[in-house]
Amino acid sequence: MGSTKRKNISVFDVINVIIMLFVVVVTLYPFLYLTALSMSSEKYVYEGSITFYPKGFTLGTYKVLLKDNYFWTSYRNTIIYTVLGTLISLTLTVLLAYPLSKKNLKGRGIFLGFILFTMFFGGGLIPTYLLVSRMLQMRNTIWAVIIPGAISTYNVLVTKTFFEGIPDELEEAAAIDGMNTYGILVKIVLPLSKPILATMSLFYAVGIWNNWFGPFIYLDDKKLFPVSLYLRNIIAGAQKAREVVGGDVEGFGDIEATIKSASMVVSALPIIMVYPFLQKYFVKGIMIGSLKG
Amino acid sequence: MGSNIEIQTATAVATKAKVGRGKQLWKAIKKDWQLYTLLLLPLVHYLIFRYIPMYGIIIAFRRYQPGGPVYGSQWVGTRYFQMFLRDQGFWRAFRNNIILSVEYLVISFPFPIIFALLLNELKNLKFKKFVQTVSYLPHFISTVVVVGMIKEILSPSVGVVNMVLKNLIGKTIDFVSEPGWFRPIYIASGIWQHLGWNSIIYLAALSGINPELYEAARIDGANRFQQMKYVTIPGIMPTVMVLLILNIGSLMAVGFEKILLLYNPQTYETADVISTFLYRMGLTMNNYSYGAAVGLFESIISVILLTTANYLSRKFTDSSLW
Amino acid sequence: MKMSKRAVLLIACILIVSMLGVMFTGCGKKETPDKTTPSGDQGTTTEQPGKEDQEEFAFPLKEPVKFTMLYRDHPAYPYKEDWILWDEIKKRTNVELELTIVPMSDYEQKRNLLISTGEAPEIVPSTYPGQEVSFIPSGAIIPVSDYLHLMPNFSRQIEEWNLQEDIKTIKQKDGKFYVLPGLREVAVAEYSLAIRTDIFEKHNIPIPESWNDLYEALKKLKELYPNIYPFSDRWKGDALLNFASLSFGVQGGWGAGNGIYYYRDKDEFGFYPITDDYKEMLKYFNKLVKEGLMDPESFIQEDEIAVNQKFATGKSFVISTNTQEIISMRNKMKETLGEGNFKVDMLPPLEGPKGRVISGSRLDNGIVITKKALDNPNFEALMRFVDWLWYSEEGQILTRWGVEGVTYKRSGDKFELLPGVKAGYLGINVDDENAKDLRNDFGMGNGVFMFSLYNGHKHLMYSYMIEEAKNFVQKANELCTLLPPAPPVLMDEIEREEANVLSQSLMDYVKQMTLQFITGKADIDKEWDTFVQECKAKGADRLVQMTNEVYQKTKDILK
Repeated sequence: MGSTKRKNISVFDVINVIIMLFVVVVTLYPFLYLTALSMSSEKYVYEGSITFYPKGFTLGTYKVLLKDNYFWTSYRNTIIYTVLGTLISLTLTVLLAYPLSKKNLKGRGIFLGFILFTMFFGGGLIPTYLLVSRMLQMRNTIWAVIIPGAISTYNVLVTKTFFEGIPDELEEAAAIDGMNTYGILVKIVLPLSKPILATMSLFYAVGIWNNWFGPFIYLDDKKLFPVSLYLRNIIAGAQKAREVVGGDVEGFGDIEATIKSASMVVSALPIIMVYPFLQKYFVKGIMIGSLKG
Repeated sequence: MGSNIEIQTATAVATKAKVGRGKQLWKAIKKDWQLYTLLLLPLVHYLIFRYIPMYGIIIAFRRYQPGGPVYGSQWVGTRYFQMFLRDQGFWRAFRNNIILSVEYLVISFPFPIIFALLLNELKNLKFKKFVQTVSYLPHFISTVVVVGMIKEILSPSVGVVNMVLKNLIGKTIDFVSEPGWFRPIYIASGIWQHLGWNSIIYLAALSGINPELYEAARIDGANRFQQMKYVTIPGIMPTVMVLLILNIGSLMAVGFEKILLLYNPQTYETADVISTFLYRMGLTMNNYSYGAAVGLFESIISVILLTTANYLSRKFTDSSLW
Repeated sequence: MKMSKRAVLLIACILIVSMLGVMFTGCGKKETPDKTTPSGDQGTTTEQPGKEDQEEFAFPLKEPVKFTMLYRDHPAYPYKEDWILWDEIKKRTNVELELTIVPMSDYEQKRNLLISTGEAPEIVPSTYPGQEVSFIPSGAIIPVSDYLHLMPNFSRQIEEWNLQEDIKTIKQKDGKFYVLPGLREVAVAEYSLAIRTDIFEKHNIPIPESWNDLYEALKKLKELYPNIYPFSDRWKGDALLNFASLSFGVQGGWGAGNGIYYYRDKDEFGFYPITDDYKEMLKYFNKLVKEGLMDPESFIQEDEIAVNQKFATGKSFVISTNTQEIISMRNKMKETLGEGNFKVDMLPPLEGPKGRVISGSRLDNGIVITKKALDNPNFEALMRFVDWLWYSEEGQILTRWGVEGVTYKRSGDKFELLPGVKAGYLGINVDDENAKDLRNDFGMGNGVFMFSLYNGHKHLMYSYMIEEAKNFVQKANELCTLLPPAPPVLMDEIEREEANVLSQSLMDYVKQMTLQFITGKADIDKEWDTFVQECKAKGADRLVQMTNEVYQKTKDILK
């Protein structure tokens, strides 16, 4: 039965492919729509006649966007924040999750409680702001963007669960060979954890890439703004202000739908391009052979 | 044998409690000190960034004047708690919040798991990769746009859905301003937005399953469904349970921004949740103390939910958070 | 087993103590790269020896000075550091503004956070009267009314433009005010209806003067175009209800407030949503919706759909607008319908049961000064600088038109842009592709410095309007009566807190029912009494009683 597996295409497979195609169509559509919108001329956008493909094709909006110096600066900032932040976040998460995955570690319960508590109780915005801004003097620096929110408890718990699934024998064997804990973590555990490391990198990276609130409260200098802030202002700026203010025209000026969609496309593109690269670890990470050693 | 050891330990405890305590502690540290050193940095991070600001909770019981001392200007006891507990608007928001979260969790939770399992069964690797890459795209589209598109698609005058409805049943439905439609719209669009993204974690868990287990199952003559039942599902069960518990723990959190953009006064009766209620409140009040009181209330409910979920999970399955 | 738990607790304690140690050394390390960045050390650079003689105070200052300011970054004209605006300010006053830049999308939130934490810059513009009140009890912002002697232009305008009554509305219980509002020389109706005049003319439909005329006109349009809704509104109907409500003797939409309305003849406050006046307004709009004259989607649809897909493509003929939006609507319609194929005009405010009424309030958003400014040795210069830039004629010309000979030339009250300069937002020289934009490239026409389009000296305001908007404003002022602002109700902190909580739930309900009555989801004849009862049950009476009590108790304070 096992040998004929490849040629055997069952009804299930057919249905499965159909379902998957459905998912593809439904999820791809809005992105297609946005891209089409961003490349269409305004006339057709006003009419609402854009459906799948651009009408009155133009790259004008992209030109406008890419001409803006602050757009490039913010793009560069985002890349720096994301790369550095992901590294720091990932390191801290592993450092925390690994010991906690050891069920016989004394005090594990207390440490877990210590971090779980923070999922529900927090001091609120003002004390946190004062801490970062006044006590730590991090305001208006890259560190304020990266450090305060570096660890996600949620991600720690998921990583911990993954570590728990790694068979103990491997680590025990290494310990008998005289390897210390650090060695075991780096040389044995991490290589086996590529799927979760890739996933967590992605989660953190996307989180930092899209995070606007931290940069928003801690950064005062436009030269340090990440692309998320830039984008948020373009998409929600004029609209939001009107809501709050109640129709005063002091902040007049609207942003065209084409610019909005173009900036969304441009800002989401890199992370979408990085994903397939990370994804190969999901496949490679299947631990073929590693258990036999 | 195990019970024997336990009895021994128990007697040891009873006889020389103090000495034993110190010794055991020392032993534990000596044995695992390297593990503890790993914990050091992250725990310091928690201490600084999560625990130090916690003194701010106190303003739920003290009047905080914006611009005044962070710990508030005077004790007011439970004034702010009474304020919201007496407020009908709060209770409506509370009820809506619970209903929306529970419905959302129950309905949306299985989708990413099923999707991950189906994806895993695809034979053509290129197609698999393609589906996977495409499926998370909606996750990146900003809420403003998602809501804008929802409204456009469902619009009675220009929307696609109503054009179809008009031809089929001859009348249109004003989805966005009908309170009864709010939850279905919210949940369906939520599934659509996060299906692919939320499945990533299950895919990671799936790829962590030892392939030898499949090999062994095949040798034992298991077909694909049996393999799924006996290997795949048990393999991802811990992840599923952990995520479920975490989701139950964060039940009170709903998509604030999405609701804010999607609701309107006509649908307040089903759509208004605690965060949106506070938001409207905050616009006129700038009242941090009130917000802190509500926040504390929410936290306590979340803790209860999480503890219960964890307890049940530990009791009925093998996996739990702690 | 239990014993080990205790032991673990001990470990935890030890760890925490050691962590504290690490924390401080760790932080020290992290801090080093930050030292170069600014963190509020302004003021140390400025020393002003012996500058006491107030009489001879003049800009530019002898020594360069830096003031800190919060800046709201508008996405339609993103901040640029090379705007000549900054150079001109520096040149004329010797003041350099050190900005904290905040995206407009969440300006309010960051402003509140910064003032609350005491980290806000000295000058905080773009703040609406009412938004400052929560910062008063703590002393985070200063009572600007104490320093009017440093603000000659502001004081003079209040005097000359007769704004005393308006200013009274922003005073607090201590008789002082804490926000410097933008001042208007003339009251302006900003919003009104736009109609497709060409369609009206084509079918010989008279241009409406009153809400009843509008009803008749829409009815005719519906007969002629049975498949469309002739009236499809934008801004979720909030603008419409705001300006329409005035002529019905109530409030609504953006101006719904907390439900309290001042009845001048009785000198007391009442809860307007349960009055017959309010019912009449709801009935009117319900009639429009019921008879298919008004699009029920008006109250939920996005502006883009209402404007771009409906009005601009000829699928509706009536929509709310303001003097600014009408320009951009026309630009869109040039693309969709083609030049010459349409004619759009703004109607003067329509007549309702209470006549033609526009709001007589002449205050705009304003500026608050934080207490940090008091520590600045150049505090006096700071106040004078604010007065100069925002209120003096020279300052207002600079922020509107720029620099004579560089961006504009002037003859009398007429300002004209020089060749090579355009102003897209005003519709001037738009077709010149190579011209530089007055707002985007030079920094003029900035809401942060102008308060609003209708602000400041009359001639400057008109200079910024196209002919049509000018006519609209003048006509509206001729035709309409001005509704004077309601007197302030001087609540203290605790009273205000209670009133706010009360009115929040109440007004949520009012808004919900308002829309349900209008769209016909609730039957106004059958359910009106229930609505009134429910409002009372939610505390309408209590709110009115409280307001009147406070008002009677405190109304003499400001006399």
